Amino acid sequence: MDYSNLRRQAASMKKSLFDQGYLDEQFCQVEDLQDEASPNFAEEVITLFFKDSARLISNIEQALEKYPKDFNKWDAYMQQLKGSCSSIGASRMKSECMSFREFCGQGNVEGCMKSFQKVKREHGVLRQKLEAYFQLLRQAGPAGAATRPGM
Amino acid sequence: MASMNQGSAARALVIEDINVDRVILLRMLQKLNCEATVARNGKEAIDLFLQGKTFDIVFSDQEMPVMTGPEAVTKIRAMGATEVKIVGLSADFGGMEAFMRAGADVFVPKPMKLETLESMLQDVIHKKNVRG
Repeated sequence: MDYSNLRRQAASMKKSLFDQGYLDEQFCQVEDLQDEASPNFAEEVITLFFKDSARLISNIEQALEKYPKDFNKWDAYMQQLKGSCSSIGASRMKSECMSFREFCGQGNVEGCMKSFQKVKREHGVLRQKLEAYFQLLRQAGPAGAATRPGM
Repeated sequence: MASMNQGSAARALVIEDINVDRVILLRMLQKLNCEATVARNGKEAIDLFLQGKTFDIVFSDQEMPVMTGPEAVTKIRAMGATEVKIVGLSADFGGMEAFMRAGADVFVPKPMKLETLESMLQDVIHKKNVRG
């Protein structure tokens, strides 16, 4: 298998995620925390992010259906989600979280509802793209694979 | 990355309820050879101080269940822990005033850079070594 080609594909995929605004520099900061002791740290953090963010999104969804409308509660949940997005460099998701919070501040229910759908959409898209990215990285193997004898 | 001083390692307390943020900060501290203890909210942090635990530096998130970061900072200072460096962390800049009013030494917006953390730890270790 051409591991160097797979690594090039992974690098290209990552560049594309940055160019399209899905990720920002903070994602690189997370990847830079990897080393021989924690070679899969970035994937572990991203997996944790999607587990926690799915729960938060579910909480927000339930809160949005309740009466009376509690903008403070919605905002508090979304603040948590926005914070996690910042921590992993999920730039587009973070922007949508910020839009939602602005609508909360305005007491704009319709705005919140539409914005929340965008948050969910960005969450789903980012999850697919990062799953594909890490799958490619796993196939490409560690960077040292290129120097394996016989390759 | 500059190597940390060979003096005694800094002992950090991380007060953070968000899993992703906590894991990242702990990993950063691990890379900088810093021992870290975790509390998932302000009350757990206070309990550690009440048990007699001491730390060189505390990193606290702002909004947490049970007890917020600024509330915990106020109590930590009221307990007489005036030497420990307290760093308030929040993704919202609005947290700065609350933390500083509570007695934090510095506020850092999230996400914190590794270089910023390294600089803070070096400062803490230097002061610790000077105190002896």
